[in-house]
Amino acid sequence: MSVIDLPTDRASDAPPDHPSVHVLGDRCAGCQECSIRCPTGALTLDSTTWTVVGDSSTCVGCRQCERTCPFSAVVVEGPALAGVRVPLVHEHVTDLAGSRTETRHGIASWADALAEAARCLDCPDPTCVRGCPAHNDIPGFIRAIADGDLDTAHAVLRRTTFLPDVCARVCDQAVQCEGSCSWSLAGDVPVAIGALERFVADNAPVPPLVTAAPPDTAASDGPVENGGRSARTDRLEVAVVGSGPAGIGAASALVAGGAKVTVFERDADAGGLLRWGIPDFTLPDAVARRPWETLVDAGVDLRLGHEVSAADLDLLPFDFDAVVVAAGASVPLRLPVPGGDLDGVWDATRFLTAAHAALAHGTQLEALRSPDGSGRAARVLVLGAGNTAMDVARSARRLGAEAICVDWMDRAFAPVRPDELDEAAGEGVDVRFSTTAVRLEGEDGHVARAQLAPTRQLKAGVTPEVLSGPVAVEEIDLVVMAMGYRVPPELLELDGGTLVPRRIGGFPDRRWLGSGIFANPAPPFARNQPVGALARGREHARTQAALARKERTWVVGDALVGPATVVEAMAQGKRAAEAILDRQPRRPGRARPGGERVLVAVESQTGTTAARADALAGALVGAGADVRVVPLTSVGTTELAWADALVVATWVEGLVVAKVGPARATSKWLDGLPPLAGMPVALLCTYGVSPGRTLPLMRASVERHGGRVVAAEAFGRRSRSAGAGGNAPEAMAGALLGTVAVRAG
Amino acid sequence: MTITAPPDRPPRSDAPPDPFDPVPVAVHLRPPRRDGVAERFAATDPPRGWDVAAHPRVARVLHNRKLQFFLILPNQLVFWLVIMLGLLGTVVPGLNFGTAITWYIWFCLVFVMMVVVGRAWCAMCPFGGFAEWIQRRTFWQRTQKTLGLGRKLPEPIARYGLLLSVGSFLLLTWIEEFFNIAGPGNPMDTSLMVLGIVTSALIFFLVFERRTFCRYVCPLSALIGSVGAVGTAAGFRTRDRQVCLDCKTKDCMRGSEEGFGCPWYTWPGSADSNLTCGLCSECYKSCPSDNVGFYLQPPMTSVVAPNRRRADVAWSVALLWGLVFFQQFNATNVYNSFDGWLAKYTGIHYPNPIDYLGIIVAMAALVAGIAWVASRALVRPDLPQPLLSVKRSFIDKTSRFRAFFVPISYGIIPVVGADYFARQLPKFFKHAARIVPSVGAWFGAGSTHSSLYNTRMLSNPSIVVVQVAVIALGTLASAVATWRITTRDLAPVSDHPVATRVTSLAIVAAVGLTASILYVLMHAAS
Repeated sequence: MSVIDLPTDRASDAPPDHPSVHVLGDRCAGCQECSIRCPTGALTLDSTTWTVVGDSSTCVGCRQCERTCPFSAVVVEGPALAGVRVPLVHEHVTDLAGSRTETRHGIASWADALAEAARCLDCPDPTCVRGCPAHNDIPGFIRAIADGDLDTAHAVLRRTTFLPDVCARVCDQAVQCEGSCSWSLAGDVPVAIGALERFVADNAPVPPLVTAAPPDTAASDGPVENGGRSARTDRLEVAVVGSGPAGIGAASALVAGGAKVTVFERDADAGGLLRWGIPDFTLPDAVARRPWETLVDAGVDLRLGHEVSAADLDLLPFDFDAVVVAAGASVPLRLPVPGGDLDGVWDATRFLTAAHAALAHGTQLEALRSPDGSGRAARVLVLGAGNTAMDVARSARRLGAEAICVDWMDRAFAPVRPDELDEAAGEGVDVRFSTTAVRLEGEDGHVARAQLAPTRQLKAGVTPEVLSGPVAVEEIDLVVMAMGYRVPPELLELDGGTLVPRRIGGFPDRRWLGSGIFANPAPPFARNQPVGALARGREHARTQAALARKERTWVVGDALVGPATVVEAMAQGKRAAEAILDRQPRRPGRARPGGERVLVAVESQTGTTAARADALAGALVGAGADVRVVPLTSVGTTELAWADALVVATWVEGLVVAKVGPARATSKWLDGLPPLAGMPVALLCTYGVSPGRTLPLMRASVERHGGRVVAAEAFGRRSRSAGAGGNAPEAMAGALLGTVAVRAG
Repeated sequence: MTITAPPDRPPRSDAPPDPFDPVPVAVHLRPPRRDGVAERFAATDPPRGWDVAAHPRVARVLHNRKLQFFLILPNQLVFWLVIMLGLLGTVVPGLNFGTAITWYIWFCLVFVMMVVVGRAWCAMCPFGGFAEWIQRRTFWQRTQKTLGLGRKLPEPIARYGLLLSVGSFLLLTWIEEFFNIAGPGNPMDTSLMVLGIVTSALIFFLVFERRTFCRYVCPLSALIGSVGAVGTAAGFRTRDRQVCLDCKTKDCMRGSEEGFGCPWYTWPGSADSNLTCGLCSECYKSCPSDNVGFYLQPPMTSVVAPNRRRADVAWSVALLWGLVFFQQFNATNVYNSFDGWLAKYTGIHYPNPIDYLGIIVAMAALVAGIAWVASRALVRPDLPQPLLSVKRSFIDKTSRFRAFFVPISYGIIPVVGADYFARQLPKFFKHAARIVPSVGAWFGAGSTHSSLYNTRMLSNPSIVVVQVAVIALGTLASAVATWRITTRDLAPVSDHPVATRVTSLAIVAAVGLTASILYVLMHAAS
């Protein structure tokens, strides 16, 4: 340990152009939350007063301390010494016709990369990592760049992402990693994390995917016969439906974990949205193709042109040990506008696929041919002004057409990337917010004109109203509806009818609360969106991906949460794969390695219920199960994803006879359960006078969430003291494990 | 001075990320400083066995979110009754339940609780309690969004700690003297005063975060906080400090699903006195490791033992001594002639803010002046280095003067507390029985002629005896405390240990003697 002079704790001691850190002695409790997180070690505990003192000379003004002090006792004044970000070139393509040139460029030189890497504070509690949906070790890879070691940087990235080259190009970093960068949270320009990631991904060789040896399993127990099928091969076999980012995430993690992976893709090309949804000028074909080249080399069985229907989804679990549904949100939304059924009204998928092919082959798109042969450029009306709409419009411009985007939202609330909007405008796209199409008129059954009316939106999240102002009429040759997508109903059914939300309320996980990502209101860079809440919502969805939605069937990506981002889909796919590798499920007829896992969730007030639950847990262990006893309030998605079977043990609340039911905490917990996908559940309650309707109420709640109650028992005082029902734990354990065993085949 | 620099961060791990909680892989927090932590808190940590919450039934009560609500509720009802009766009830102060309960009973009770327990009143206070219900938008539930602006008290004010509270106490006392509210005078004045406190509490709760009002502004906060140091409730403290140091989430300060973050800006992991523990039990509820206990401590531990002696507490004690001196002195003939003389020149009649503030400040300054002289004579000019070369904030600054003044101010806390208590005794002994006819008055039964209305528990000479006895007890407690403080705090900074001890004990004796003499002169005046 070095020895330093104790700093003077005075804000005014710092020169005006230097940040100063000042600790309010009265309120500082010496908890050291600031000093353990300060990137530069500018805060030290003065053990005489047991308060922290700040050293303005080493303070860089990142304000991690301000954000993480629980008592707001730290004040940082003055500028953040964020340094100047290396310029990133956005190329303005002058000759648009047929151009597939990437418009955004990465970091050009090692010198620039080193300079940018030097801006990273290497925060001890990096908020950027929480902001990244895949939780890439951002300070870790940037430190490797600073050390001049691109291979290590790449390896660090590859630990958590399979798509660094793709994500670096398509991620909206401003609301993810860069929006959560300490500099950004301090109101300054964040480290160019995306550009650095791209620098690594583009300049370091892609390492081959190393697959783990097939896991050592219980195959030595001998073959299990079932319908003539031999279960000698004990390698986990997983089907992945869809080859988009979510499928890539799942397949890569599964194959790395030693599973045999079969991927079904309905298109002729693998990559899903990466191939047809994102134009070449954002994501070049070569980059979009790279993940599947690696995966196929690693032994993934890729079956192209293979559509999986809803009926097939029911059958796949009988041919595979686990199924990952990564089929995306493929149903385009359509504007219910008069004339919407005319010829020449397309959806974005159709247009982008066709435009992609046309640009790739250097051909003209038939629909954009000069309408009257006069050489006049075709006019495309894009309904929507989000990122997809920009892609449509910019592709149309490259195919020689004029493009108008209309969106009924106010510009201030539109979910479009500002840089994308600027680029589109620079390429001559006419973007009109607060405008909507109220009628499409046709000639000979083909769309020819659009009536556009003004709209007004006063607040974000409020449906805009169409004003009765003057209606503009535009001559139009093609209309493309690019207003978003939804999940097809058969997939939505798998989700239990509702999508997993990406914005959630309630209390954040305590492991996140201490991080500075929550403590700050949104910095302007994140476009008035609180980056902490966004990150937390994404993390919620990622966690949910670990849960099976149906027996041995996991749903990930847009199919789980609705239209979202590439990186989120990939992270969810990876998370589901990790859960599958951890669980090692096997289809009927195949022996599963390891014991049955039983999670015992206990809500006990005086210890009586806990003692009961412990007895049951003992019986379960005696029967060979792997048991975890956890306080009910600590049981979350992660714990449930681990378990094959669940025991819920609770005390009974109520006034002797009135309002008798499960303890309030238990009821609340049961109400908030995620889908249990047919998981066997045993219910246990302990009561004083009468259990009332406790067990039926719990049963109803569990069944509502898709659980299967296989045993339910109430224990009163007498059974407690006299030892009656003494064999109940064994009986319950038997019922539970019997069901699990039957389920597992 | 030099202190060791924070240790560098732990090395990065090359282990693959944990799929279930991948973020910690990238987290490389510096280890917290923990050198000397055991010695630092050894004297102030309550005895391990004195954890009341170790009892399962107590633990159950403390875990219950409704606990504080039910502590506040009775007081809430009484105080709204006081407000209502003050506005609508009889104008006879002794027959008005509002004034009777406030001035004959409540004030005494608060002082008893303060001396015995500490901030017990704060846990059940209807003023802060009411405002907090509104701020939290709930009576007892853990809510996430609070009502109001959630500002922080500006740093230039907050740095003076409890002194703002002393200021508001001085102001309130002056107003109370001006309108003769506590006399008690017109019951409506009492109502308006209570309403005023509730309103200002509400405003502060809606503008500032947490219990900024209670911690900094409440007129009673400095008094209860400093005199409460005598009390036997150590408050909510850590059970195992290492667990607190290892805790990365500090739910007790930030709040969790089970409880709010400490409304009083106190961390159980570093609390070394009961000064800022409002006994609200939120930290106990929110600790994820069940590492917070509700501890008792030997009386006066928080006077004698704290390592960190706060200048705001020292100055508060000096000023509070000034105030109680004024309240005694103003019942004497000397004061009356002085006040009359001053009124002739200034045209301001009692309570003349000039002599009010003048006497209070003079008394505080007298204590400080004696301390300054004593420090010049007794405290070594070359103080041990760690105390001097750091420019700390007002509360923690060190100097020769402070090295003497701050500890001896802590030493006189018991006698000052006893003085405040003794001041309330005449009203209690003379009029407490009036509470019965004042209740009877609701039913038309109470009257100024009823025997209970005129019943006195003690005669005036007996009251004086009790008062002097209380002061004697306080002085004794102060002497014991000062003896120990001298050994611990003053001996290391002085080359004249005997003289230092004699001087500090003399200060205690002087305070006790002054108060006693004044009580004799006052003849049990209320």
